[in-house]
Amino acid sequence: MHEDPGLSRRDLLRGRLLGQFLGRLAQAATNKVQAVQEAVASSAASQAKPADPDPTASGAMGRRLALPIHRPPGAIDEVSFLAGCTRCNECVTACPVGAIVHAPAKFRAAAGTPMIDPHTAACIMCTDTPCITACKPGVLRADQPRAMGVAWIQTMACLAHTGSFCTVCSEQCPVPGAIEVHACKPTIRPDACTGCGVCANVCPAPTNAIVVMPLADRRTRSSSSGHH
Amino acid sequence: MLTIDRRTFVKASAMAAATAAASGSAHAVSLHVLNNQPEGSSLTWQKAPCRFCGTGCHVMVGTENGRVVAIQGDQKAEVNKGLLCVKGYHVGLALYGKDRLTTPMLRKDGKLVPISWDEAIDIIAKRIADNPKAFAMYGSGQWTVGEGYAGNKFMKAGLGSNNIDGNPRLCMSSAVTGFLSTFGVDEPPGAYDDLDKCDVAIMWGNNMAEMHPVLFSRLVDRRTRGEKITIIDFTTRRTRTSEQSDQVLYFKPNGDLAIANGIAHQLIKNNSFDKDFVEKHCNFRQLGAKPDDKTPPDMLGVPMTFDEFAKAVEPYTPEKVEELSGVPADKIRMLGEMFGRRDLKINSLWCMGMNQHTRGTAINCLVHGIHLLSGHFGKPGDAATSLTGQPSACGTVREVGTLCHLLPGGRLVANAEHRKEAEALWNVPEGRIGDKPGYHTIELFKRFNTPTDQGGDITTVWVQVTNPGQTLPNLQRNFREKKNLPDKFLIVSDVYPTATTELADLILPSAMWVEKNGMYGNSERRTQQWFKMVQPPGEARDDCWQLIAVSRKLMDMGVEGMKDKDGKWIFHTADKAGVEVPIWEWPHYYDTNVDERLFEEYRPFTTKKHKHLAPYSEYVEHRGMRWPVVQQPDGSWRETRWRFSEFDDPFVAKGKGFQFYHSVSKDDKALIWFRAHELPPEVPDLDYPFWLCTGRVLEHWHSGTMTRRIPQLHRAMPRAYVEMHKDDASRLGIQNSEVVTVKSRRGEIDLPVWIGGRGNPQPGEVFVPFFDEGKLINLVTLDAYDPYSKQPDYKKCAVTIVRKP
Repeated sequence: MHEDPGLSRRDLLRGRLLGQFLGRLAQAATNKVQAVQEAVASSAASQAKPADPDPTASGAMGRRLALPIHRPPGAIDEVSFLAGCTRCNECVTACPVGAIVHAPAKFRAAAGTPMIDPHTAACIMCTDTPCITACKPGVLRADQPRAMGVAWIQTMACLAHTGSFCTVCSEQCPVPGAIEVHACKPTIRPDACTGCGVCANVCPAPTNAIVVMPLADRRTRSSSSGHH
Repeated sequence: MLTIDRRTFVKASAMAAATAAASGSAHAVSLHVLNNQPEGSSLTWQKAPCRFCGTGCHVMVGTENGRVVAIQGDQKAEVNKGLLCVKGYHVGLALYGKDRLTTPMLRKDGKLVPISWDEAIDIIAKRIADNPKAFAMYGSGQWTVGEGYAGNKFMKAGLGSNNIDGNPRLCMSSAVTGFLSTFGVDEPPGAYDDLDKCDVAIMWGNNMAEMHPVLFSRLVDRRTRGEKITIIDFTTRRTRTSEQSDQVLYFKPNGDLAIANGIAHQLIKNNSFDKDFVEKHCNFRQLGAKPDDKTPPDMLGVPMTFDEFAKAVEPYTPEKVEELSGVPADKIRMLGEMFGRRDLKINSLWCMGMNQHTRGTAINCLVHGIHLLSGHFGKPGDAATSLTGQPSACGTVREVGTLCHLLPGGRLVANAEHRKEAEALWNVPEGRIGDKPGYHTIELFKRFNTPTDQGGDITTVWVQVTNPGQTLPNLQRNFREKKNLPDKFLIVSDVYPTATTELADLILPSAMWVEKNGMYGNSERRTQQWFKMVQPPGEARDDCWQLIAVSRKLMDMGVEGMKDKDGKWIFHTADKAGVEVPIWEWPHYYDTNVDERLFEEYRPFTTKKHKHLAPYSEYVEHRGMRWPVVQQPDGSWRETRWRFSEFDDPFVAKGKGFQFYHSVSKDDKALIWFRAHELPPEVPDLDYPFWLCTGRVLEHWHSGTMTRRIPQLHRAMPRAYVEMHKDDASRLGIQNSEVVTVKSRRGEIDLPVWIGGRGNPQPGEVFVPFFDEGKLINLVTLDAYDPYSKQPDYKKCAVTIVRKP
């Protein structure tokens, strides 16, 4: 059975651009979502410029192109992460579902570091977090929040929001309370959502209705502040 | 609010889908393309009814380079007005699973080996010719009209055998007996238009939001237009339908009989029944041996007076009904008052909840009865309508009559006059058609799974377009015993490997849906047509061609039945110049439109029961037409939405108001039945303390053989589960997702528990969907059936839930 949803990064960005126009969502979203949107808007704007066939080429555009990257759960802030990650591959092999992959070249300095492409293979939110256990340099840490990003529903593509019936995203969401269903219509609670991407992977709408965004402003939380 | 309008969005989506199609990844992403066809696209668009359920939505199918690459809802279709459900949007992918069967295969020494079509046809013809009486066909409501007609003619007129049945026996036959017992003729008098006009919709054990989502959308969308509708959900389990309902009334399994009698009791006690309608248009009936007859009670019953009827329902007081059904007495009063009101339009809707029921005929009759008694009949919005689960359960199996007791056009094999008419229309000698019904589904498979010398007189079964290896109840007894009986031979025509092909001795690869010409008939009597759009893969060929080729081979072998009275082959087909077209040869099968030829031969059968059909060409033009379709003085063809009502039905005499012109009592009146509440054959006890109910889920159709090969649907609903109430789970110490054993007296399977899932059973009940080939719940189900419809009860048997050590 063909399991590949077949969405390229480019499709993803197209979806994100579209997401920009969904004003209602932006209104409802928390600061977290807005921050993500702003980050994407800037990166998407730079993407929208004439194609740059070689993403490693230097120049003004290259310097501005800091794509937010979807890290595995428990990641510390991005600067420390990049500095600390040894690209040892241990988290990649530890992941039971193959969701952790190496960042491709277009991520520049981050190329080769672990990331998740939630639209291709979602993190399933293992309770025993084998990726964190496997991380020797400690850039994935048990004392850090599990949240990697945040998902939102493009209601115009969602079956439940457009006159049909579907609750698959909420049924398969591994995070209790992250997707609520009222009157047969699912809504995502951004404060509970971890951005694992399961919902996007299972959405059966003809045009996938779920967009998952990486966290743009990930900070390292001090151990004493407790868990997410 | 939204800063992007629908049009822009739609364009973007269409482009995305088209881009994906162009890049060759069309089958990794959805085939769905929204309203606008992108400029410069070379897609060809044609109409077809959806392959899946009995709703009968139309889709537009986009093809390019010999492949289906896009699907959109058909805005010209009255049924769905452009909307589809999640299955419909992905229907095109049903053709492109990786393991399509592409070559005939014969089991030799336990292994399947490819053989040629010629060999396959030879083998089947020899098995049949050796012992035609031991041969049976088993089809389904997924047979097109032409296929079902060819199969029926082949068996009944050709072999003189009535051993042909179909899976609507497991699905709709109690609805059929309900219509026959009440109106003397099958199929709903009303139409989907009643959904648009009713004030109250009553779901009788019917999870319409999940099973007929497009129709449920059509109903609840009225609320967004400011219309007031009241939805009442009679159910044993909280479902999506319950979420949209104004009243959710939980009843104990089998309690529906008491509820319906309770409503009749209220109508009479409050003197609020429709005296005028009842007096003019209804008689009363009950079960009973006829005075001069020693045969057991039949489904036509014996007359009773109104007073006798009133006395019979008298014990069904609201309090008594509460005791029997669990529905509170004041709710029964509320329903009685509601039915007593003439100013409301009430539409009752049901599907498997009422049909898969050992008292299925009884509850169907009772629901028709309360509609007739209260006069909620035959006006737009006032109707009792059964919904079907398969695309052509009505059009093919019920109308063409591919059941062991039927002949085309509503005729019965047991009726001498009906046989004579069919023999005349088929131009075969008198006496060709057997005068006794053949074996119904359960009996047929029981005999096939019984040693030949112990009464198992069916030795060869040919299955087309269905999957009994997954869907028969009590599978071990009714399907799997065959494994140890080497003289039995199972032939299966299908498109994918299934639980049925697993035991097949000969597998024939079939063409499906838009890989062939076809016609379907949906729940509301709508006959639909489509053309072949793409080639089937490999050596897959039409089911109808397979039948025709076997028939021709039998004729060549000298089997007399394959010729009519004039010595012509029963499927003789000529072109316009009168020259025979060799349709038994695959390269010539599409030299002519065999589907049209079979349909036009079938058409004259339909007038007897006033199920008139228009010529084939009309269906090419329309998105289906609802019979009776009658020609107007101006030459046009007019469909009928409300049968038996003077204002719409052309066969009702002027001034009659209503006329039940196939009345059982032969006086143009319908029958209001009394049927007592009875206990089901198996009820929970100390050893097996839970009720088991089985059913479907939105994402998967029937046994899942098509939908589980569509990645989007498979990912959305990957495997079966057992739903249970949280109190039962905590009492037994069961956690969500824990794998438990569901066990009955017949079999057991392991399933993960889903607490607070899509549906929530009442305490003491569990629910398991049947789509999952890896988790065959029908090893557990009971094969007790309704005595009149012979339809088994998949909705209630006793099980226990055992924790794994």
